[in-house]
Amino acid sequence: MITRTVQVKNKFGLHARPAAMIVTTASKYQSEFFISKDGLRVNGKSIMGVMMLAAEMGSELTLELVGPDESQAMTDIVRVIESKFGESD
Amino acid sequence: MEVAVKHQVIKGKPIVNGIAVGPARLGWPGDKQISEIPVAASEVSKQIKSLEKAVGSTVGELQELRQSALKKMGGPVAKIFDAQLLIASDQDFLSKVKDDIKARRRNAAFIYNDHVKRTTAPLKSSHDAYIRQMAQDIEAVADRIVSHLSGNSKKKMEFPPNSVLVGKTFTPGEVLSYRQQKVAGFIIKEGGPNSHMALIARALYLPVIVVEDLAPAQFITGVDVILDGIEGKVIVNPSKDEISQYEHLKKRLGPALIARIRSLKNIPPETRDGVRVHISANVTLPGPAEDILAENKIPVGLYRSEFMYLANNRFPDEETQFEQYEQVAKKFAATSVVIRTFDLGYDKLSSDAVWPLEDNPALGWRGIRPMLDMPDVFKAQIRAILRASTRRNLKILVPMVADLSEVEKTKKLIAQIKFTLKKKRIPFDENIPVGIMVEIPSAVLMADILFPRVDFVAIGTNDLTQYTLAADRKNNKVANLYNCFHPAVLKLIYDAVEAAKRHRRPVSVCGEMAGDPVALPFFIGIKADSLSMNPARIVDLCRMINKIDSNLLPPLVKAVMSSPTADTVIKRLESFKNALESRKKGK
Repeated sequence: MITRTVQVKNKFGLHARPAAMIVTTASKYQSEFFISKDGLRVNGKSIMGVMMLAAEMGSELTLELVGPDESQAMTDIVRVIESKFGESD
Repeated sequence: MEVAVKHQVIKGKPIVNGIAVGPARLGWPGDKQISEIPVAASEVSKQIKSLEKAVGSTVGELQELRQSALKKMGGPVAKIFDAQLLIASDQDFLSKVKDDIKARRRNAAFIYNDHVKRTTAPLKSSHDAYIRQMAQDIEAVADRIVSHLSGNSKKKMEFPPNSVLVGKTFTPGEVLSYRQQKVAGFIIKEGGPNSHMALIARALYLPVIVVEDLAPAQFITGVDVILDGIEGKVIVNPSKDEISQYEHLKKRLGPALIARIRSLKNIPPETRDGVRVHISANVTLPGPAEDILAENKIPVGLYRSEFMYLANNRFPDEETQFEQYEQVAKKFAATSVVIRTFDLGYDKLSSDAVWPLEDNPALGWRGIRPMLDMPDVFKAQIRAILRASTRRNLKILVPMVADLSEVEKTKKLIAQIKFTLKKKRIPFDENIPVGIMVEIPSAVLMADILFPRVDFVAIGTNDLTQYTLAADRKNNKVANLYNCFHPAVLKLIYDAVEAAKRHRRPVSVCGEMAGDPVALPFFIGIKADSLSMNPARIVDLCRMINKIDSNLLPPLVKAVMSSPTADTVIKRLESFKNALESRKKGK
């Protein structure tokens, strides 16, 4: 299992498009994936879960991955978040 | 029993332009009470199977809707259903619901709805329209699943054709299906032009207006209403005159406008003596009219980008802007689009705390001024425009320029963005033209300093008139002074055009006056390069251009410029116009 903390850097936070990107990316991998924010822990492969985080810019997210392809998944997911989901600032 | 209904005019914000005239039909959902029904242990698996079946049916429906949307309305609209499909097929959510059904032994509809409420609660109270939209999409999906679970197909609203539906909001699916029943338009309480519902309504030519304090009591099912999605108002129980006025207007819009523009044979139109007059269109809110404009190779002379801000009361992110600009750039690949940077303040405001309370809003923080004071916002817009400029058919237009420093700061900012994009190897038009709106007298008086430093100029006659005559165009008390035909205004327009020619810069005229057939001979006479107008005016103006002999214009211009008052100017221009119109047809 690996965990990493990342910050939501894009200006308009985790709205529908970024949420869908996280879910689609994570769903490519076998590993289980959880995101925690302010004590709320959701399944990162669930669009409803990720949407519920309503994470704004500056939020800290803790990512948790458990499974055979966990490090690949982590790299991929972190890249998606840190590249601000393709939204440059 | 006769019910006396008041004639009432209610102000609203159009989010899809157009006109609808018809009987109102209230679609106010009662609070959807989903009964909580205890379920015997032996029945639990049945509930779960029903849930799975309902989800399957919903997914099937959404896929069909998606296909149909893709075929009829294109990618961006189809994407709405992609989001809903993701929601409907969320396995994690579903397994939590199933576990809860087992644990609490309740009916699937109740448990499903309960979980939906818990998910949407934090989203609905957000100030952010994007996040609220997520809640709406979730509820739209939940609606379908719950109606499948209750066995009846969704209770659709029944109404006579041409009805104007009134409700809190309507889902994209409802808009699509009500269109089959020939709905005329929608009056809603919450929504924005980029909401999923508006996207579909727009593609179907259905006007939508948002009335913030909408109350069902204001409407009675069956009583006529006029939905004025141009000016932004709803007229309840209109008079016969109002109805015929709007019916007439309606004929010239929507599909009718499309047909009229299609009938244009020559664009750009020519005068009787062969002088070409360039016509372009103003775009205030994107809509289906754009397709017909692009088809007829009519360029966009003024793309009022601030609709994106006004929609959500906040500045759109770069990506959202890029998608809009890229879409319009693609559509108008054969011609060009002039994107005016956000022109906010004065009468284009919102409840956003960003806007100060001003004593003199018209003379205050508007146009380019707030943009230069909020460089992050301005830069995001410039970046989005540049990224969409790869077809080399975009131009940047800066509003409310009063001083050279504003031009220099803007150009510096653009240069910085270009440098960053180049470093990141992101392609863009290196020579994207940058122009200024000429709407403040100082800009005309300093034309020899300003014009050489920009690529083109656009005369904004509305504001130019108000600043020249020191008469607020929104103030009824001085409405008689605010007259764009005032000789002082004409003189400034004339000087601006002359200066543009001196410095060999293209000069266009935007503003109401550009689409006014009375003013047309003046603009052709002083040789403005192009006129940018409301698409609804284009056909009439083209017809009039065909009637004008430009050799007859110099004396008219002279007479107009030496007129002592606006009334004299109007008299002279109107008699010229009347003489033209009385010509025999087909000469």
